[in-house]
Amino acid sequence: MTVTSDDQLVARCRAGETPAWNELVERYSRYVYAICTQGFRLQDHDAEDVFQDVFTRVYTNLDRLREDGAFRPWLAQLTRRSCLDRLRSSAREALAEEVEPRDVDETLSLIDDALMVHEAMATLPDNCRDILDRFFARDESYRVIADALGLPPGTVASRISRCLDKLKPLVEERGGAARPGVG
Amino acid sequence: MTAFDHEELGRLIAALRPVPAGWVRAAQELPAARLAIEGIVSRAVADAAYRDRVVADLESALAEEGIEPTPAVLDELRDRFISD
Repeated sequence: MTVTSDDQLVARCRAGETPAWNELVERYSRYVYAICTQGFRLQDHDAEDVFQDVFTRVYTNLDRLREDGAFRPWLAQLTRRSCLDRLRSSAREALAEEVEPRDVDETLSLIDDALMVHEAMATLPDNCRDILDRFFARDESYRVIADALGLPPGTVASRISRCLDKLKPLVEERGGAARPGVG
Repeated sequence: MTAFDHEELGRLIAALRPVPAGWVRAAQELPAARLAIEGIVSRAVADAAYRDRVVADLESALAEEGIEPTPAVLDELRDRFISD
C-alpha cells in the first residue's frame, strides 16, 4: 500500500486541499494525543484544549514551515510548547523544568518509535492493519475482534501473530533495528 | 531475542491509542471554521447590531455557521473582535 509522504501532504495542505488537511490531522492525531496524555500527563479536558490549539497553530503557521519534510519534529515541538504552557498556567509560579515530568524525554522517544511503527503498519494490507490496531491500540478482546471481522475466535491470535511477522521487517527497514536497549 | 519481537511491537502499537471521539473531526473542521470566522467578522463590520450579538455570544454565532465552538476557535474569533 502506498502512503503519501509528509512533504507531499504538507504541500497539498498549503495549496488549500481539504482532503489533505483531513489526512494530516488523521495521521498525527494519535501522536499529538499521546504527547499530551503520556508525555505531559494532561487530563483529557486539558489535553483536548491543547490538541485543538496545536492543530490550529499548525493550520495557521503551515506557511512558516521551511522544510515540508520536517513536519513531524515541528509538530512535536509545537505540541510540547503548548503542553508546557498549559502546565504553567495551572502552576503559575513553577518554572518550566518543575512542571515538566521528569521522564518526558524518554516517553517522547517511545512515542516517536510508536509513530514509526504505526507508519510501517500503514503500509500493511487493510486486514492486518485493522486487526493489530483493534487488539493492541483499541484493546479489543479476541471475541470482539472475531465478531467484528467475522472470524472464528480461534484464528484471531494466529492472525495477529502472522501480521506482526509481516510488520517486523517493515519496522526494521525504517531503522527500528538500530534502536538501542530493545529486546 | 530480536530487536523488535512481538511483545515490543505490540507495546509500541498500543502507545498510540485512539483519540476521543469528536476531537479529530473538530480539528479537521478548522479550514471551514476559518472561513466561517472571516464571514462573521465581515458581516460584523457591516452590521453593528450583528456585531453586538456576536460579541455577546460567540458560541451561538459559530453554531449558526455550523462550526463546533472549540476553545481554540472561540479564542481566534475573540482575538479577531479585539483586533478589528
